[in-house]
Amino acid sequence: MGLRRTRPFAAQRGRRGAVRVGLTDAERQLLAALFDDVAALLDPDPADAPAATDPWRDLEAALRVEPPSDPAVARLLPEGHRDDDELAQGYRRLTEQSLREAKQSGLIRAGAALRREQDPVVLDPDEVAALLKGLTDVRLVLAQRIGLHSDQDATDLHDQVGRLVHRAQRGEALEPAEEHWVTMASLYETLTWWQEALVTAVR
Amino acid sequence: VSVAPVEVERPETVESVELDAGWVTIVWNDPVNLMSYVTHVFQTYFGYPKIKATKLMMDVHTKGKAVVSHGTRDEMERDTQAMHEYGLWATFSHDQ
Repeated sequence: MGLRRTRPFAAQRGRRGAVRVGLTDAERQLLAALFDDVAALLDPDPADAPAATDPWRDLEAALRVEPPSDPAVARLLPEGHRDDDELAQGYRRLTEQSLREAKQSGLIRAGAALRREQDPVVLDPDEVAALLKGLTDVRLVLAQRIGLHSDQDATDLHDQVGRLVHRAQRGEALEPAEEHWVTMASLYETLTWWQEALVTAVR
Repeated sequence: VSVAPVEVERPETVESVELDAGWVTIVWNDPVNLMSYVTHVFQTYFGYPKIKATKLMMDVHTKGKAVVSHGTRDEMERDTQAMHEYGLWATFSHDQ
């Protein structure tokens, strides 16, 4: 990940709420690319559009808004109510589109800030807020992809990554699925560290 | 999961009751969101002092959930949507 000279994020002296980015160029590009990926994921999925044929089913389908079929997207756009389907439906009808758009514009804003030609990059408070939310969204997606579902999974994650890395270092060939998992899980851990650093910088 | 009522300031006006203020926003525990971030969100969005924000975060973390706001259904839908924008796992419901 490059030889870091500074912390990933630090409060910028003399500018209230501003944050100085200490990530390397490659790290900034990587994070911005992840934001692009999640923003694209938030485009409505044509596979989720109701495909009804007869008029009655069409009407019924038009009134129903199903949760996204991709569990990662479903986690970004969760149910608003747990027990009452009607309330959950109403909430989704009312908010899903604007939630998608709010998240997408935040991800785009944070990505643009990270790609800014500036040395070092200094984020204003609005960009910091977008970056915090963006890091959360990327981590939520990655967590779904690597099967991180409980607090125990989160506790075990570091050891599991360590075991796989250790095996690879001993020259053992990892299964493609293991290799994919360890790449995503390492990325998740890195983003967790960056987000913790960013929250610390604004506190 | 225990249903622990958390101390949240209620508006003291009588009108709020007439507006059906008996709704709540609940934030649920999840393995992704950082304790520091959840506290930050409660301070930033609700304007809660750090002690109260930390207490609510700890309730989410240790009890699995916490009631983070009270109000009308519209207000609670708005708070839930805001929590979803922050990536927190929130729902609204009628306060039993």
